[in-house]
Amino acid sequence: MGNDQRRFGMLALLLALALALAACGQQAPPTGGTTGGGTTGTGATSAPPAPSGEPIKIGAIFDLTGATADVGTPYSKGQIAYIDWRNANGGVAGRQLQLISQDYAYEVPRAEELYTQFVTQDGVVVFSGWGTGDTEALKGRISEDQIPFISASYSAELADPARTPFNFLVAPTYSDQMIIAMKWALEDWKAKGNTGAPKFAYLFNDSPFGRSPLADGTAFAQANGVETPLEVPSPRGATDLTPQLTQIRDFGANYVFMQNVSTPASLAIKNARSLGLDIQFVCLNWCANELLIKLAGADAEGVVGAIPFDPAAEGAKVALEFAKEKGIDYGGATSTFVQGWTAMSILVAGIEKTLADGKELTGENIRNTLQTMGEIDTGGVTQPIVFTATDHAGAKSLRLFRVENGTWVAITDFISAR
Amino acid sequence: MEKLVQLTMSGVANGAIFALVALGFVLIYKSSDVINFAQGELLLIGAYLTYMTVEQIGIWWPAGVVVAVLLAAVVGVLIETLVLRPLIGEPAISVIMVTIGLSSLLRAIVGSIWGVTPRPAPQFLPRDTMTIFGASVGVDKVWAIFLALVLFGVLTLFFRFSREGIAMRAVADDQQAALSMGISVKRVWAVAWAIAAVTAAVGGILLMSIFGGVSGSIARVGLLVFPVVILGGLDSIPGAIIGGLIIGLLQSYAGGYLPPDLGMGEVVPFIILLLILLVRPYGLFGQRFIERV
Amino acid sequence: MQSGTFHTTYAADMALRPYWPQRLRIALVLAAVLVFPWFADRYWLSLANTIAIAAIGAIGLNILVGYTGQISIGQGGFLAVGAFSAGLMAARLDMPMWLTVPIASLFTALVGAFFGLPSLRLKGLYLAIATLAAQEIITWVLTHGKLLGIGESLSIPRATSTIFGISMTAIGNPDFAFYWVTVGCLIVTAIFVSNLFRSRVGRAFVAIRDQDIAAQVIGVDLFRYKLLAFATSSFFAGLAGALTAHYRGIISWERFTIDTSILYLAMIIIGGLGSVSGAIYGAAFITLLPALLSNLARLLSGAVPQINSYLPYMQQGAFGLAIILFLIFEPEGIVKMWRNVKDYFRLWPFSY
Repeated sequence: MGNDQRRFGMLALLLALALALAACGQQAPPTGGTTGGGTTGTGATSAPPAPSGEPIKIGAIFDLTGATADVGTPYSKGQIAYIDWRNANGGVAGRQLQLISQDYAYEVPRAEELYTQFVTQDGVVVFSGWGTGDTEALKGRISEDQIPFISASYSAELADPARTPFNFLVAPTYSDQMIIAMKWALEDWKAKGNTGAPKFAYLFNDSPFGRSPLADGTAFAQANGVETPLEVPSPRGATDLTPQLTQIRDFGANYVFMQNVSTPASLAIKNARSLGLDIQFVCLNWCANELLIKLAGADAEGVVGAIPFDPAAEGAKVALEFAKEKGIDYGGATSTFVQGWTAMSILVAGIEKTLADGKELTGENIRNTLQTMGEIDTGGVTQPIVFTATDHAGAKSLRLFRVENGTWVAITDFISAR
Repeated sequence: MEKLVQLTMSGVANGAIFALVALGFVLIYKSSDVINFAQGELLLIGAYLTYMTVEQIGIWWPAGVVVAVLLAAVVGVLIETLVLRPLIGEPAISVIMVTIGLSSLLRAIVGSIWGVTPRPAPQFLPRDTMTIFGASVGVDKVWAIFLALVLFGVLTLFFRFSREGIAMRAVADDQQAALSMGISVKRVWAVAWAIAAVTAAVGGILLMSIFGGVSGSIARVGLLVFPVVILGGLDSIPGAIIGGLIIGLLQSYAGGYLPPDLGMGEVVPFIILLLILLVRPYGLFGQRFIERV
Repeated sequence: MQSGTFHTTYAADMALRPYWPQRLRIALVLAAVLVFPWFADRYWLSLANTIAIAAIGAIGLNILVGYTGQISIGQGGFLAVGAFSAGLMAARLDMPMWLTVPIASLFTALVGAFFGLPSLRLKGLYLAIATLAAQEIITWVLTHGKLLGIGESLSIPRATSTIFGISMTAIGNPDFAFYWVTVGCLIVTAIFVSNLFRSRVGRAFVAIRDQDIAAQVIGVDLFRYKLLAFATSSFFAGLAGALTAHYRGIISWERFTIDTSILYLAMIIIGGLGSVSGAIYGAAFITLLPALLSNLARLLSGAVPQINSYLPYMQQGAFGLAIILFLIFEPEGIVKMWRNVKDYFRLWPFSY
């Protein structure tokens, strides 16, 4: 065994050296198209019809194998699809968009590494993150490096340019979503002919992400004469939420607001139905998606959700048709796919305007453009997105949807939080 | 009162799921002294294999389930032969790490074959609820209780009366002596892993029904197996059942009665774990390990 | 080449590296370490810093697992304790780095000793699971950060990252400045721990690993030395955590979950249990593995475009596969592989 081990050791050493050389030697990714360590998913890179100037580099990290991969994957496909679509239609000002992206499996250190690599070695000018963990971790860096940043974490703290000058929110903050949902609940309560105030409860993911909207929601509820809502955390990894639901039942809640992802949310809905509870569930954006319907099945009927990116709008049709044309499989998560597509389109709109204004493509210029360019049209998927120098919350309103016959159907127009 | 009944039924039902998961774990430990960190992934594999045979290939569901369970047994044997057998005689830390590495690898393989998007559960799984003692419980959870008891009975009889079972106990007791009596230790281990994979497959199928879909979250239930087996004793089958029940009931009562904003439900099993370990290091039913210098 | 032990002075006998080939290798490595940051770009510097910090944590874990034989799956939790205590001191009390890091490390040592109390009653696998429980409890405390006033994440003001008044941004960019701090700490840690195991305390640890009842018989106080092992190991974990807090500038609970603990265990197993250089090799290997794979995928994506869609699974699986392969084929880790290479050259043309 000794000799075999020695030989194995030598071979492994040589292999390691070869890999290291490969790693060091290969730095500049090939230009043109959307190659470069990412997941194209479609496998199809179209030949650009327009003459390519220097490609515009956009960095992105996705969660494709980690804890939130079930929504991270369709989101990533939406983002990549937008880039491919844009390139197929002439790029931006004649230049190709190059997406440099990778999976980081929701591991924050990996996110930091990839960010540093993309900014230092690949020279990306803007960045698209994903979750609360990485967005929080990078928010200082992007300010130092002056890289405009969007992500799928809609925490209220990211909207203040005084604190986070390079973060941009493309959907209403979790706090705003909660307030909008509560507004709807109050109207719904009156419309059902009830007098007095309803009772609210939260069933939220037991983590800072889950707690994010609670304080603002409670303030709004109290200001509108509703008793302090009951806060019930939903333990991560639970197989049964019946105990939590009995607490909610004892409290007498009429509306339960869920700030959670789809798997525990669907569990709550199913458990509630089997307990025979008569409560109205209202999901914020991370459980208001097709995945919830898939998992909860018939029990999901009547659940109301806040979907910031309307999948039935005109702008979304373009995305879905492109997906069909290219055979992109986003696992039925239409609204998440549209979310990724639209978010990327907003970032690219900023880039386009910067170039149209004749400015050099630097992070700071793109940020200034985003802050001053006025309304960004998303084809009705959201209200026009507006960033200002004092407010980076681009969207302040959304539509509420309800599950009817297995799909999300819009039940209100755009409601805004303030 | 009604709440107490409801919480108790919920707790018992959840406990049955934990017990099922723990059974396979205890089996492996009992026969080969291996702490299997990949038990959650065995659940996952069982669930996905069932999904594959019933939904993707379209076999009639009883046959599909049987085929899936047999395939799971094969996977268990393969894991034992390829990964565990070369590590005979290595220190405990190495064996623990290899099962940890295995869990990573299995999750990656499952993800690359079936993707990470949750698939809806196959139709044959029960989705309704029934009322027992005035409390409503999902039918799938009732099945879990029933299956846990059946498996417990079968395994106890297996260990007490069958040749293979006695051989397994002999190997668990003293490998050298068993070898000298002509028992094939390798075969015993392969059988242990096969049975563990089978119980895990059954657990995985039930979890599919509970979650409404098959996805990576099934594997995360595997982490809860540790409080259960520590409580019950790492090498005790009745301990797995009782431990599962206790943890299930504790979680239920904690979630239902303690002030909710503390969020204690998640951490209570682990605190109990620590307390039990300090008082009875070998769990309620585990065998006291006598060390010889 | 050396062909036997022949020392003529006590100093030579006691030296850590008595032979000139060893000294030459160390000198070369030190030279490379000193020259590297002047030529490396930010990405490589940040990788180097990550490896250095991980190596400190891995060396700490090695003290506990490799040398004292107490299995611990709670390393993530101890890193968190170090990071958040340093972070809280810096953020709330404006204490500078050269104060917060040592204090945080000492505090973590105390916490580690506390969580090490079960080790007096528990052994082997039961202890491993008790540390798992400790890890989950620490994660729970962090996710319920209201208790500590943490919120979603904790920001450490850049202004506190100073050593005796010299700010980290004064000497070029922060990555460059921190390189000296992290590598300096790593070198001190390595020397300290190497010497620890030539001392009485270290030998007591090893005795406990090999056969603790026999150790007790010859007079090793189990209570004291087990707790000391936990405390020392946690000290270095706290050091690594505190450095992370100041280096990254912002920390949250997601960095310190059970997956982190498993990562550190993988580092010392792959690197080689019971060896300081093994911990460093393991830290480098685990940190570089995903980066190597993705660069390799980029290289191959021209020839095999499908590889990009499988890359995430490959990265996830590679970690598990690396552990399994190392444990099956080279259970003593990279350190043994390196030793085989050295032996080959030393004994050539003989084979043993």
